Amino acid sequence: MMLVASHFCIGQQWMTRNGTVDFFSATFVENIEATNEMASGLLAEDGRFAFRVPILGFRFEKALMEEHFNENYLESTRYPNGTFEGVISNWNEALQDGQWHEVIATGSLTIHGVPVNREIPSKLQWNGKSWQIETEFTVATAAHEIPIPKMVRDKIAEEISVSVNLSLSPR
Amino acid sequence: MNTFPPRLLSCTLLVFGFIFQFACGLHAQSLLDDLEMDEAPVHPVYATFKDTRIINVQSNETPGENVMHFVIAHRFGQINEGAYALWGLDNASMRMAFDYGLTDRFCVGVARSTFQKTFETSLKWKLLQQTSDDRVPFGVTLFGVGMARGDSVFTSNIDSRTFSNRLSYTYQAVIARKWSEKLSLALVPSFTHRNLVEFTNSAHDQWTIGAGGRYKIAQRVSLNCEYHYLLKKYAADIENSLSLGVDIETGGHVFQLHITNSRGMFERAFLTETTGRWLDGAIFFGFNLSRVFDF
Repeated sequence: MMLVASHFCIGQQWMTRNGTVDFFSATFVENIEATNEMASGLLAEDGRFAFRVPILGFRFEKALMEEHFNENYLESTRYPNGTFEGVISNWNEALQDGQWHEVIATGSLTIHGVPVNREIPSKLQWNGKSWQIETEFTVATAAHEIPIPKMVRDKIAEEISVSVNLSLSPR
Repeated sequence: MNTFPPRLLSCTLLVFGFIFQFACGLHAQSLLDDLEMDEAPVHPVYATFKDTRIINVQSNETPGENVMHFVIAHRFGQINEGAYALWGLDNASMRMAFDYGLTDRFCVGVARSTFQKTFETSLKWKLLQQTSDDRVPFGVTLFGVGMARGDSVFTSNIDSRTFSNRLSYTYQAVIARKWSEKLSLALVPSFTHRNLVEFTNSAHDQWTIGAGGRYKIAQRVSLNCEYHYLLKKYAADIENSLSLGVDIETGGHVFQLHITNSRGMFERAFLTETTGRWLDGAIFFGFNLSRVFDF
């Protein structure tokens, strides 16, 4: 009965399981890029938003980079996911007009097991069938306690650029 | 007919309403929990060992596709040579090896050792990879190497100095499991065939059962060891090979420091021709430096 009840009060939700996350680390010595197509996102009618990306799903150009990323930096066996949970702060029904809207996602971004409160400017569009969400932001490795040894500091940027692309369909 | 008391009805509604609210409340707790219900993707287990070798013997790892793995290995003289030879450091032999990954699971290699001026060509194939969900609980990597002695006087019998007599072969399977982030173990049965042997009654074929492992003591540092047991010793002075080492990884480079009772750094030599005795201090210090190049 509780299941039934809960089903009724969910309200409309939109979801994806194959969103894209790219990241880019640029220094004068080396550029490092990786792509992940396994991000999932969930948006509720009231503007609440959750996002999860499996760290092991990032694909790098070089196999060894991928290994180091997982084993040495993100420790993905211990911290398998990067997550965001919060609200789209200027959310309302009027956004559903087919235009791109500037919104702000306010909430907790957790990477490497360390949550950081963030306000992330994002773009949102309703295309008649699904919500498109696009955002670009930077992640400071130090804020998430990801140590970068001195020896490789000129190869790995301290601020990593991340871009996220989601297309959320009705659940 | 209408016997359902209104009070009971309102009471029931209240209870329903309460459950309804409670369920909604539960649901509102975390949207993230809804996502977390999905299963994590299954993936092959990575970095069972830091390098393509445990110490002397192959690990289950191969270089990735289009990756050139270059190793310079040094093995010094016997530590019990004493201060005059700076505990063996005066007597270095070295081995240069190039392994190239044709795919993520298959590589070819060439190498050359100063010890007996030996050339090697090898093939290595990751037949099976351990998976994160343990449906495949261990990895199996097959390795084969052909070795050719290049030294001018390798036998006292002039009639035996043919090319085929310079050759020997080792075939092995590396059965490896990463038990945890820190601990990985491998079982390595090997078969070595020597085309030429010292005496007519020496066996051409040798079986060894090896075991090796690593234990990470820091994010980029691990302790390694390996041991190879000869099923049938063909001469009294032949010992089982035992090596202890440390791997230090610095992003792109792996340094391997070790002490071992084997002088040679290729399979036939350390599996079947080890003569150093640990208890006599007849052991060798060595280090490998590996570097990867991407193409």
